[in-house]
Amino acid sequence: MRINPVLQKDLKTKLRGWRAPVLITCYIILLALLLLVIFAGNGMLNPYNVYGYNPRLAVDTYNILIVFQFALLFIAVPAITATSISGERERQTLDLMLVTKTHPRTIITGKVIISIAHTMLLFISSLPVLGVVFFFGGVGIADIAKLLLFYVFTAFFVASSGVFFSSLFRRNITAIITTYLFLGLVTFGPFFAYLVHLYFRETAAIAAATTYTPTYGEILAILFPSPVFGFASFFFSDSSDYYGFNLWGRVVYYIDGYLNQQTGIMRLMKPWIVNGVFSILASVLLIIASTAVLNPLKRNK
Amino acid sequence: MVVVENLTKKFNGTLAVNKLCMEIPEGEIYGFVGANGAGKTTTMRIIAGLLAPTSGRVFIKGIDIAKEPLKVKEFIGYMPDFFGVYDDLKVSEYMAFYAGLQGIYGQKCRELTDSLLELVRLSDKKEAYVDTLSRGMKQRLCLARSLIHDPEFLILDEPASGLDPRARVEMKEILKELRTMGKTVLISSHILPELSELCTSIGIIDSGRLVASGSVREITEKLSQSGIIRIKVAEKEEEAVKILMEIPEVKEISSVADDIEIKVNGGKDIYAMILKTLVRNDIPVISFHPEEGSLEAVFMKLTERSSENEN
Repeated sequence: MRINPVLQKDLKTKLRGWRAPVLITCYIILLALLLLVIFAGNGMLNPYNVYGYNPRLAVDTYNILIVFQFALLFIAVPAITATSISGERERQTLDLMLVTKTHPRTIITGKVIISIAHTMLLFISSLPVLGVVFFFGGVGIADIAKLLLFYVFTAFFVASSGVFFSSLFRRNITAIITTYLFLGLVTFGPFFAYLVHLYFRETAAIAAATTYTPTYGEILAILFPSPVFGFASFFFSDSSDYYGFNLWGRVVYYIDGYLNQQTGIMRLMKPWIVNGVFSILASVLLIIASTAVLNPLKRNK
Repeated sequence: MVVVENLTKKFNGTLAVNKLCMEIPEGEIYGFVGANGAGKTTTMRIIAGLLAPTSGRVFIKGIDIAKEPLKVKEFIGYMPDFFGVYDDLKVSEYMAFYAGLQGIYGQKCRELTDSLLELVRLSDKKEAYVDTLSRGMKQRLCLARSLIHDPEFLILDEPASGLDPRARVEMKEILKELRTMGKTVLISSHILPELSELCTSIGIIDSGRLVASGSVREITEKLSQSGIIRIKVAEKEEEAVKILMEIPEVKEISSVADDIEIKVNGGKDIYAMILKTLVRNDIPVISFHPEEGSLEAVFMKLTERSSENEN
C-alpha cells in the first residue's frame, strides 16, 4: 500500500528528534499532575482519611480529564493545521509540491490526516492516566471507545477547518486567527443562537399567555454544529448539577433530560452522533473547498 | 514541445504578461531574457501550471495545460528562482519525498536518487540534512529534485542566481550535461553571456511582451544590421567621409582613433553597397568591419526601443 507522501514526510520530520517525545511526556505529566491535584483535593492521598471513598470521585475526575483533553484538542490542532499550507507557502515549498503530478486533494488529505494522527497519539499516550478512573468503577471501556471516536470526528473537523483557512490565506498569522474565529463561531455560536431562539419563543408565549417548552428536535436543530454539544454526551451529569453552580453540568443535565424523554429514532439522535455526522460532512466539504483553493489553475485568474 | 498562444496575465489590473506567443521545439535550450519585473517568472509559472493565465493557452506536447494539468506535469520539471527546504530532512529523504509525489517509490526511487545526486555532484551529501547545505548545493539539489521523474521539459528560473562564481560554473556544467541528455529547457537568467553560450535560442521579454525570439545568431545578426561599421582607409579620409555623407542610409559619421565609424540603417545589402561605393570612388579601404552585437547589446537595444515606443 502506498502511503500518502505528504503524510509520510510529515510523520518522519515531526516525530524525529527530541521535540515529539518531550511534548508527549509533558502532556502526560500535566494530566497526571491534574489527577494528583484532584485526588489530593478529595483527601485520597491522605493516609489518615477518615471520610472514606467518595463514589462520585471517579466520574468527576473523568469529567475533568476529558474536558482538559477536549480543550487541548481545540487549542493544539488549529495551531498545527492552520499553518500546514500557509507554512509551506511561507517556506516557499508549496510550488514544488504543486508542480508534481500529485493532486492538490492528496496534499490536503495528507495534512488533515497528520493532524488527526498527532491528536490520537496524544490521546492514546494519555490512556494510562485516564485508566486510573477504572479502579473506582462508573466509567467503562465503551465510554472511552466512544469518546475516542468522537475525538477523531472532532479532530477531523478542526483539522479540516485549519487546512482550509491555511489554503485560503497566504500568511500563517491570518490563517491561525481566522481558524480560531471560525471554530469559536461554530462552537459557541449555536448556543448563542439557541438562547436568542429561547428568548423570542418565551416572549411570544408570555404575550400569548401560554407557556413554552422547547422540544429535543429544536435543541438538535440549533445546537448540532457545535462540538461542545456533541461533547455533552460524554460528560457525566448528576442531579446535583441541576441545583449546583456547575454551569456546564447543568447544560448537560438539561440536554440529557430531553434526550431521555425521546422514543424511537429520536432516541438514537444522541448529541455526539448528530455532531459527529455533521463534523464528517463539514470536513469533507472543507477538504473539497481547500482542494479548489489550492488548485493553481482554479484561482487567481 | 511548448507552444504559448496569446498569453496574458493581469494582477489587480496590472498587465504582467501581454499577449505573449512563443514556441520551443523539442531539444531546444531556450533562454528567456528580461529585466526584473519584465514578466519572465510569471510566464514560467504559467507554463509550469502554477498560475492560471487571464487569457491565452499553453500546450505542452500538444496537451492544453488548462485541460489536463496533471498529465502535463508528468513532462515538466520546474526549478523556481526562490525556494525553501525542510528542516529535519536528509538529502535522500528529500529526494524520496518528491519522488513519492511523482509516484515513484522503492528501488526505482533509490536508483534515481543515486544517479541524480551523482549528476549534481551531491553523492557524498546523501545523508546530510538539507538545511545544512550551502546555497549552491541547495540549488543543485533542487535541480536534481526537478529531474526525479525524468521530465522531457525543464523550466529553470534563474538557476544560477545568488551563486558564487565557482558554484555558477558548476551549475553551468550540469546544464551542459542536460543539453547532451536531449532535454528541452526553458531557462531564464540575468547573466547574458552565460545564456548565449548555453542556449540554442533566446526570447527577449520586456514589459510582458516578447520583443524578439529566435536563435542567438539570428537575433544578434538581425540587430547588428542597423548597427555600427568601422572603416579604415589608407588615405583620402576626407573624400571617404564626403562620399559616405551622400549615402542616405548612413545616419551618423564619427571619427574613432584612426577609423571612420558610421551608423547605418539597413541590412547586409546596404553594407555591401557602401563598400562598393567607396571602392568605385578609388578610396583605398583597408578594413571594413561591421560590429557584431553581443547579446547584452541586443538586449539593451531592444528594451530601449520598446520603452521608447511606450513613451
